[in-house]
Amino acid sequence: MTAQNGAVSSQSSLDVIRLTGELDIGRRDEIKRALEPKRSTGPILVDLSEVTYADSTVIAGLVRLRNDAEEQGRRLALLIGDARLARLLQYAGLAGAFAVYDDRATALTYLSGVSS
Amino acid sequence: MDRQPLRPLLVTALVLALVVPILVAGGFGVRASVRSSLHVAEEIRSARATATLLLRYQLDEETGMRGFAVTRDAAFLAPYESARAAFTQQARDLRAVLSALGLRAGVAATDDATATNARWDGAIARPTIATSPRSHAAALALQRHGKALVDRVRADVARVQSEVRARESVIDAETEGAIDRINLIILGSVLAVGAIGLGLGVQQTRLARRLVEHRRRALELHGAYEAEKRVADTLKDAFVQKPLPALPAVSFSATYTPAAEEAKVGGDWYDVVELDARRVLVVVGDVAGHGLDAAVAMVRARQELVAAAVGDPDPAALLVRGNVELLRQRARMVTAVCALADARAFRFTYATAGHPPPVLVEPGRAPRLLECGGMPLGLLPNASYAGHVVQSVPGAMLVLYTDGAVEHSHDVVAGERILLDAVAQAARSRAPDAAAAIRDGIFAGRTAGDDVAILTVAFAPAPSPQRATSVSAARAGDALG
Repeated sequence: MTAQNGAVSSQSSLDVIRLTGELDIGRRDEIKRALEPKRSTGPILVDLSEVTYADSTVIAGLVRLRNDAEEQGRRLALLIGDARLARLLQYAGLAGAFAVYDDRATALTYLSGVSS
Repeated sequence: MDRQPLRPLLVTALVLALVVPILVAGGFGVRASVRSSLHVAEEIRSARATATLLLRYQLDEETGMRGFAVTRDAAFLAPYESARAAFTQQARDLRAVLSALGLRAGVAATDDATATNARWDGAIARPTIATSPRSHAAALALQRHGKALVDRVRADVARVQSEVRARESVIDAETEGAIDRINLIILGSVLAVGAIGLGLGVQQTRLARRLVEHRRRALELHGAYEAEKRVADTLKDAFVQKPLPALPAVSFSATYTPAAEEAKVGGDWYDVVELDARRVLVVVGDVAGHGLDAAVAMVRARQELVAAAVGDPDPAALLVRGNVELLRQRARMVTAVCALADARAFRFTYATAGHPPPVLVEPGRAPRLLECGGMPLGLLPNASYAGHVVQSVPGAMLVLYTDGAVEHSHDVVAGERILLDAVAQAARSRAPDAAAAIRDGIFAGRTAGDDVAILTVAFAPAPSPQRATSVSAARAGDALG
């Protein structure tokens, strides 16, 4: 079972969702499109390393994406680079619900790794 | 659409720029050509008259000379001599005019007529005068002989006249052309003025139509704005009118500032639920989004949380039930903080759901942000919420607020620092309305881009030693009395 999961993730390509800047209601449509689950099976890296602000609708989008990924058995990692965004995610307790990383290499290791 | 109304103006300007110079140049051209035509026509008229005169003088000379030949009467010589002089003079004038007109054949014919006239004078007239009175037959023979020369002069003059007539018809045609061109210029002017008038008219019509359209849109916008504003005003009124409980052990202050833009007003709220004289539940929440929908969702979320509080006021349990209820209703996402203030134990119990953390300020200590973390309500069915217990002291104040108080510059780290400073300042100055003082400290006269709600709940301060004595003394006195 474990081996099978590992095989799936190693064969599938990585899905990278990258957003930058301030994510607020003015960019709602763009953010919604970006966070829609893709029809692939690989792990997902949400790269927010250049995001400094995200309003609550982004939090909601991330949570939905995480739920979908969980249902499909895909790994998902959040890459955070800014203390301000990290604090906002802390408000929502996302650190406990997501695999959050501040460097890409570690995030990729997690995403390509054999599930524990 | 926006650039269209400029087109008639452009057309008008083009008409002015292109047509008017053409008309002016055409006008000057016609004026010059008409002038020269008039001058030429004048010359031609005088040439024709002079040519006619030449024929008459020629005839006078001939008649005079014949009369003299027949009668030998010297009286005929005077008309001859004067006609001869006049002929020469007029021929010179005619030559000048024809030369000025460029009629070279006419000039040649005039020269020939002049020369022939002179030859007639030399070969016919003078010998006739010189013949003896008796040789009458010889004189008549000379006259007959001169006939050929006279005819030649007549033919010369006829050639001049025919060339002048030809030139006259050219001039006539030119004049006709000038008149046609004048007509064209008049027509062009009329058309240009018409086009300019039409352009300006169309422009004016379009502007008028656009003005009407703008007015209509403005009225529509005004209507939409009025509707949003009514919602905003209703929400604001609901907060303003909401009386905070007056309890001896716990004091409250609250403020709600709607967003600067009316349309952004929406989902912030606060609630205070008295459980008993010393225990109150306070809730501050924020529904995602703005406008009427957010307001409706907000009212629903408030009802859910307050209703749940009646059963079990534990904040964490309250959020769990609220979450389930909001998910069941497929309501919007909500962030909230619930806190239970127990003035008997000086204890705060609180839980947060996707909401910024409460600030606690205790007498003599710097304000601090408490722990936070919990999924927003209405997102995950199995979300769990941690209850935090803070054992505090009399005089402690808990500050709950919505994200507008820390996210105004989209820099939440700086926002939290500003909030803590504002809370510290409000606590130091013992502002009677702490919430308003904190809001003013944060925004310092600026308007908030988002809604901001702030609620403070404070335990009554511990009586100072002196006062405690006097109060207990008074109570003792009352009891004694």
